[in-house]
This record gives sequence, structure tokens and C-alpha cells, in this order.
Amino acid sequence: MSRRFLKLIICLTPVWLVISGFSQEKGDMDVESIIRQIDKLYRSESSYSEFEMEIVTPHWQRTMSMDAWTIGLDKTFIRINEPKKDKGVATLRIENEMWNYLPKTNKVMKIPPSMMMSSWMGSDFTNDDLVKEFSLYEDYKYELIEIDEGYDNRIYVNCIPREDLPVVWGNIVIAATKEKYTPIWMKYYDEDGKLMRVCNYSDVRNFGGRLIPAVMEMIPRTKEGHKTVIRYIKLEFDVKIDEDIFSLRNLRANK
Amino acid sequence: MRLYLKLAIRNLFRNKRRTFIAGSAIGIGLAALIFTDALIIGMEVNMVASATESYLGEGQIHHQDFRSSYAVEGTINNLPEVIERLEKEEIVDKFTQRTMTFAMITSPANLSAVSMVGINPATERDLSQIDEAIISGNYFEGNNPRDIIIGSKLAEILEVDLGARVVMTVAQANTGDLSQEMFRISGIYHFNIKEMDRAMAFVRLPKAQEMLGIGNEVHEIVLKFSDGSHGRDRSLPFWEEYSNDGNEAVSWTVILPELDAAFEMSQFATYIVGLILFGVVALGIINTLFMSLHERMFEFGVLRAVGTRPFTMARLILFEAGALAALSIIIGAVIGFIVTYLMTQIGIDYTGIEFSGVTYRELLYPVMTVRQYIEFPIVVFLFTLLIGLYPALYAARLSPAKAMRRSF
Amino acid sequence: MLTLKIAWRNIFRQKRRTVLTVLTMFGGFTLSALSIGWADGTYNRIIEMFTRNRLGHVQIHAAGYLDKPSLYRKIDDFTRVGDIVENTEGVMAWTPRLYSAGLASVGEKTAGVQIIGIDPVRESKATRFEKKIIKGVSFSEVPSHEAILGKGAARTLRAEPGDEIVVVSQGADGSIANDLYNIVGIAESGDAAMDQSAFYLNLADAQELLALGGSIHEMVIIADKLDDVPEVTERIREGLNDANLEIAPWQEFARSFYVAMEADKKGSWVMLFIVILIVAIGVLNTVLMTVLERTREYGVLRAVGTRPPQIFKLVIIEVSLMAIISIIIGLILSLVINYYFSVHGVPMPMSFTYGGMEFTHYYSEVNAHSLYLPAITVMFSALFISIFPAIKAARIAPARALRSH
Repeated sequence: MSRRFLKLIICLTPVWLVISGFSQEKGDMDVESIIRQIDKLYRSESSYSEFEMEIVTPHWQRTMSMDAWTIGLDKTFIRINEPKKDKGVATLRIENEMWNYLPKTNKVMKIPPSMMMSSWMGSDFTNDDLVKEFSLYEDYKYELIEIDEGYDNRIYVNCIPREDLPVVWGNIVIAATKEKYTPIWMKYYDEDGKLMRVCNYSDVRNFGGRLIPAVMEMIPRTKEGHKTVIRYIKLEFDVKIDEDIFSLRNLRANK
Repeated sequence: MRLYLKLAIRNLFRNKRRTFIAGSAIGIGLAALIFTDALIIGMEVNMVASATESYLGEGQIHHQDFRSSYAVEGTINNLPEVIERLEKEEIVDKFTQRTMTFAMITSPANLSAVSMVGINPATERDLSQIDEAIISGNYFEGNNPRDIIIGSKLAEILEVDLGARVVMTVAQANTGDLSQEMFRISGIYHFNIKEMDRAMAFVRLPKAQEMLGIGNEVHEIVLKFSDGSHGRDRSLPFWEEYSNDGNEAVSWTVILPELDAAFEMSQFATYIVGLILFGVVALGIINTLFMSLHERMFEFGVLRAVGTRPFTMARLILFEAGALAALSIIIGAVIGFIVTYLMTQIGIDYTGIEFSGVTYRELLYPVMTVRQYIEFPIVVFLFTLLIGLYPALYAARLSPAKAMRRSF
Repeated sequence: MLTLKIAWRNIFRQKRRTVLTVLTMFGGFTLSALSIGWADGTYNRIIEMFTRNRLGHVQIHAAGYLDKPSLYRKIDDFTRVGDIVENTEGVMAWTPRLYSAGLASVGEKTAGVQIIGIDPVRESKATRFEKKIIKGVSFSEVPSHEAILGKGAARTLRAEPGDEIVVVSQGADGSIANDLYNIVGIAESGDAAMDQSAFYLNLADAQELLALGGSIHEMVIIADKLDDVPEVTERIREGLNDANLEIAPWQEFARSFYVAMEADKKGSWVMLFIVILIVAIGVLNTVLMTVLERTREYGVLRAVGTRPPQIFKLVIIEVSLMAIISIIIGLILSLVINYYFSVHGVPMPMSFTYGGMEFTHYYSEVNAHSLYLPAITVMFSALFISIFPAIKAARIAPARALRSH
């Protein structure tokens, strides 16, 4: 599997859960409840989505469209529909195991754990996007901060990881709407306060009764000309998903 | 007997200048042999040291499959027993234990695949030169379990400096579960070996074992022999003795065969040059002796004329050759000792950088041994006597009249 | 002129002494010529072992590739570059290569590999690729989805010739590059680290997999003679005249190896220096003795009215003549011996195979400095030392000299 692709698959699940979990209730600027709400995201039962992923590099640019099914954080199944050349390529992840199906060769390839790690090399995402099992509420210190961006309707939360938490960030600043706590951007800094990457959220839509930004744009600040954009076309929560989807047999089934 | 000796010595001192020239010529030859031998041993020691001292060690013990699979589960079998045996082993000078795993290291700016090596800082010091290669920070001072030492090139890739936060991800033994820990850069080393500077990270052994979920097990024991030449000895019983219970003991020559091959080639070339040097010295002895004896045929002719018997004649010349050889040996040993000793103190500039993943030490020091002052003098003495045989026999058969005529 | 004649006659008159002196000088010359030729031969052999086998003598990359390899730092019109290289004087062969990283899987086993696209015909001419095959066969000439694995990679993947292998990578256009190949052989290059991940494909197959059209990442060039590499590099640079290409000789792209070799050479130069020193001392000793022992003769010359400068000249010329004779004989002999050993070599006590090259013999080398260095040594030490006895001989008082016996 292409490194970029593989890494995105791994990263996708937590990322959209972050987005989808934001409450629609009117908040009262209580920072603790904002953070608690973000934490809740990880408790989503299941989902089905259709989305587009646009990857921009200095050398090429391409857009893929895919279908994804998830149950909790443990099971993910993704199949590529577009472009034609890659149609049918599918990935199954069950906990720590991962398989790829390649229709061109009609082979299933199991990715060993050590390769799962090295395959994220050179990506726009870092590996803590994968195993984010700690909670912002318990593992981060957070506070409301003021940033003069010229917007009155935004609130800003600064999150600092617990000293020994296995994350590389010095702090994360989250900007969200005052009204609904919909995220606008997240900025990741290193300990020297240098901006390392930016995640922008836009095009808030109603997916199954939830208001969620349909477009997420990830821009690493350390790699010039690189960008990854995800656009949700369809997003369903807590849908009933057949467990058979997460099977090697289904992986091979070239739907 | 004593008379001959006396005569020979008196003869030698009669023409001091000639004796001095001949003596120094042979002596310098002997000195050259002594020095060259010291140099060859020094080069050998240097090669082995360069190959083994930075990280590899002279021998390694692993689980028999570890070198091909690098599986986290591939820990050494019966570790306590192996360690107990090693501690009693007389030929083993020092050893240290390591874990070794493929890992992912992440910084805010970047990430990289590396080998994470868990080490015991105290014993590791004797087996590798990480402690000496530190260019900033320190070598596991204090006892913070979150200390990590990385190479200069890796620090550059990750865009991190001392104190920076990095996350290490590894897969645990058996389950393959991912395990992550935060570390802070406590030291940066520079070996000038691309692979080591770019793709290795060192942490404390207990922390590594905890991350990997392997209890007190380790992947590698690296050891150093009391005698460096054991490492290149493929027939050493040690390798057999420790290759059991599903473990394997291998010498560094097995791990880096191409380096061993190159060493062997250049060593053979060195021996050939040494052999040629021996030829040159031998030629010098032949020449010196022939010169100093042949030019004196007139004198020998006179001796024959006054009634010296051929046998006595030959003996006299042989004794003189022997006395000259003895004198030369003294001169040679002194010169050889002074030059070699000076060089062992100063070292020969031998600046090299890297070859097949091995850094050369910068100075070459000849190695002096007692053997050099026993074997070579004996060889020179015997060889001089052997060469002296020819003029001795020649003189013995000389007819007095002819000798006197020819000498002019 | 007269002095020369006398000197010449003197040399032949004192045959035994001449033979002895010439023997020392000529022996010294030959032995140092042999040791230099020998040391050079071995070093060149080691260098050859490293360059000829895989790295080549000269490499061409797109600018910046060596510093930071990337799929996109490529040479697009490599056949044009190849044509120019081919027509450069001193070039024996060239071969194109393409590199990328990927995941390969055989049966249940998967591992990271380095994809190396090669042109089997050119590669075999340049680096004798077919000799590196330790199991199975090499590529067929026509690209036919064949793959060859490095020894270590084959072990990791438990692969054998005849197995199918799937490889996945990322194409230059961002696409998921994946295809199925038949393993036809296992290769051992001599570099164990490289063999641990090497996955060779036919260049055309690799270009198709990675969507790289007619591009390559590396061009490896073999020169006719190792010694000519710097000149050949310069000629290629001039011929290509392209700022987007980096043309580097092995001394640059394998810099650490080059430095190590130079260092090792330095070590052997210490020994050569000792050899030369001993030769010089031998020559000094002989000449000194010859002159000193002939005090009486010079005394006679003085007595019959020869002027001191003439005696001085006589001694110097005599020694020079002997030195020249020795050098000529030595030259012939060492040329013959060095040539013989450069062709036939000396069998090794233990032969070994390195990256498809079998090393069974040590070889000497015939080169200029193995001849002129000893020549200078012999000539210089002979002349230098004869000055003192020559002065002494010239200053001799006739009466005293005659009395000396």
C-alpha cells in the first residue's frame, strides 16, 4: 500500500471522530465541558462514510473517493472507488492487524506490525494520530485563551499534554465557534512554540442530525507544498454494520 | 675457543670505521625488521579495534533466529545461565546486554524508522564508543528513564535538539500491540558512520524491556575477549560452546564478512611487503659481509702464508662474522627499540574515516613484543653466520700467493 | 670523456667488487619495485572489488539525488546521456538503474524492500550481474515480469525461485503501484545490508510499475582503467555539459571508502618507506666500503699526478655507472616479475567470493611509480653517499695512501 494512503487510513478514524463528536448544544464557554465533549468522541459505536481525499504534493495531485466502515476504534474497512486505476483496493484493520487487498494481482497482503510503523514514513500525519487512546480531559491541561484574530464569535482553548504523555506536541490550540463549539482550526506547536501543523475545518453540514464540518484540510508546516484534504459526502453514525464486512472474505470480494 | 673470540673481536676493533659501517648496516636492517613487525601487529590491532570497538564487539550471542528475523520475541534463551557461564569464562574480558528493535521515532517536525537499542550504560561503556562519541548533552548521567541518546543525523532529520520531546513507538513481543513512550533527548552522538548517526537511538535497558514487554530478557550479548585475536579465530571452541539451547554465538567476522575479507587481503599484502623487506635486509647482510671480508683477502693471504691452517682460517672468519653479528644485533636492538618506542608514544598519523560501517582510529600505534627482540636477532645472527660461511670457505681454500696478488 | 673511459674500465677491472655493488643496488631496486607493484596491485584489487561489483567507477545522478534521494530526482533522457557516455574515450560500459521503496509479499510473509530496476544486458556487462545469482537464473533479456531477490530479503520472505511475489509502492503520479512478479533468482551482491532488502526488476517493468516512463535515477559507468577515472569523469562532464546532472567519480560518491583506502595505503607506505630506507642504506654501505677500501688505489692515482677534481669525478662517475647498470637490470627484471604476477597472480591461502567476483589470487601491478621511485632511491642514495668518499679520495695525500697497507 502506498505509504501516504496507508497512513491516511490509519488516521482517518480518530480524525473524523474528533469532528463528529462536537456537541450541537449551545455551550456556555465552560472549557471543561468543551474538552469533555471532545473526549466523548471516542465512544462512537459505528459509522459508514463516503468521502473524497485530495492529496497535494509538489510533484503530483490526486483525488480518491472511498467508502469506509468502522466499529469503535478497533475495526476499519475501506475500499477505493476512484480513480479507476486504484478501484477495488481495500484495506481491513482489526486491532493491530492489517491487510490490503490488491485487485490487480488478486492478492491479500498482510502488513506486519513493524511495517505498519515504517509505512507512515514521510507522511503529513504523525503516528500519534493512530493510537490516541488518552483523553484530552484526563491527559491534558487546558485553558481558555484569548487570541486576537478579529473574530468575536470564536473561542480558543490551549491544551498542554501531561509531562510523560507519548505525544510530541508542546501544545495544541483549538479554535471553535462560540455558539456550537464547531471546530474551525487546530494548531499544533512544538515545545518551543513553533507551529508544526495546521488542521482547518470548514463547510459545516448536517450529517444525520449532527452539524459537522464536511471539509478537513491538513497542512504540515514542515513540508512545503504538501496538503491533504478530506471531503465527506456521506456520513452516518451508529448505523447497523454487518460484522462480516470486517473479514478477509469481504476484503477479497471485489464489490 | 676463547682465543678465536679474542682474535675476532680484536680484528673487529682494528678497523673501527669498517666495523662501524658494517655493524650499523646490519643493525639498521634488524631495527627495520623489529619496527615493521611492530607496525604489522599495530595495523592488525587497529583493524580489529576499528571493526569492533565502536559498537560491534568481538563476539555476539543471540537467539539463533534473531539475526535473520529481528523478531521482538527472539530473545536469548536461558539468559541467566548464559550470563553465569560468561562471567566465569576466562577468555571473555567484558560483556554487555542489549535489546534491539525496529521502532518509529516521532518529533513534532518529522518521523523516522530507527533501531531502538536498550543498553546498560555502565557496561556498554566498555563495549562501544557511544559515550566517547557524544557531541552534545551527556551519556546517561543521572537516572531519568526517559533519557534517549540519538545520532547527529537523526537529530537533524527530526529537527530536534537537547531536551526535545520525542515519541518512540514499538510493537510488543507476542501480541504485536503498539507501545509508545515519550522520551527527551539527553545526548547526541556523532560516529561519522551514516547508518549509526541516522538510524539508531539508545535508551536504558529496563525502559526498553518494559516497552517491549519482554521482562528481563535481552536480544543480544556483545562481548570482548581478553585477547583481541580470538575474535578472528573461527576455530575457537567458544563459538561452539555458546551456540546451543537455540542460541548462536558469532564472531564479528561472521557479521561483517566483507570487512574481514578486505582485512585479509590487505594483511596478506603487508606480509608480502614484510617478506620483501626481509629479502632486502638479507641482501644487505650478504653485501656487508662480503665487502668487509672479501676486501681483506690480502690480509687472509698473509695469514695463510704465515702458516695458518685452512680450518683455523675458516673458523677465524666465522668467529669474526659472529662477533660482527653480535655487535650489529646490539646496535639494531637499540635503534629498533628507540624508534618503535617513540612511535608507540607518538603514533603514526593514519587518519581514516569509515569503511564498511567501521570507523578507523586516527592514529596507528606499533605494538612492541618481547618476541621481536628474541626471534629477529637470532635470525639475523644465524643468517650472518650462514653468509659468513662462504668467505670463510673461500679464504680457507685460498692459496697464499694468489690471495696476495688478487687483492690489489 | 677520458674520465668516463677510465671509470668504465675500472668497473670491469674490479669485476667482483662491481658485481657485489651492482647486486646490492639492483636487488634493492627490484625488491622495492616489487613491493610497490604488489601493494598497488592489492589496493587496486580491493577498490576494483568495491567499484566493479556494484558502485561503478563513475555515477551520474540528477542534481541533489545523492544528498537526498527522491523518486522525482530523475534523469529523463537517459538514452541520450548514455549515447554521449558511450562515445566518451575510456568508457567501457554503462548501465541505468531506478530505485524506489516498497512492500513485497510472498505467501504470508511481507517485508519492506528496495526496488531496483536494472537493464540486465547492460548490468551484466558493467557489473557482471549474472555472477551474483546464487540460486535460480538471471533476467531474460526481454522484460517479462521477472523478479530477483537479494539473499537476505529472500530469507526474510522465505522466498524461492518459482514463487510469486506481490510488490506495492507509490507511483510517481501518486497512484498505488502494485503488481505481481515471478521470482527467477536470488542474488548476493556482497553488501549484506543491501541484500537484506534488494528487489530487482527489469528496468522496463520497474518503470511501468512506478509510472516513471523512460526515466532512471542512476547511471553507473565503468572505465577501461581504474587509474583513468578522474580523466574519464572530466571528459563525461564536458561531453554532457548539463548543470542538472551530477557526475561523480568513485572517490566522491564512495568518499568514506576512498578515505579509508588512502589511510590504509598510508600504512603500507610506511612499510615501503622502510624498504626504500634499507635499500638506500645498503647502497650507501656498499659504495662507502668500495671507496674506502680503495684508498691505496687512489693514492697511486694521486702519486702519478692525477688532480683531485679528476679523482672526485672518477669516483662519482664510477658509482653512477654502476647505479645505472643496476637500474637497467633491475628495471628489466622487475618488469618481468611484476608483469608475470600481474597476469598470473599468487594463489590465496583461502579464496573467497565477494558479490559474484571470485578472489583466488593476489595480483601485482605494473605501473610507472613502482619503477621510478626505486630508480630515484637507488640513484640518489648512490650519488649522495659517493660524494663523501669521493672528496676523501680526492684529498688523499699520495704518500700516506700508499702507506696504508
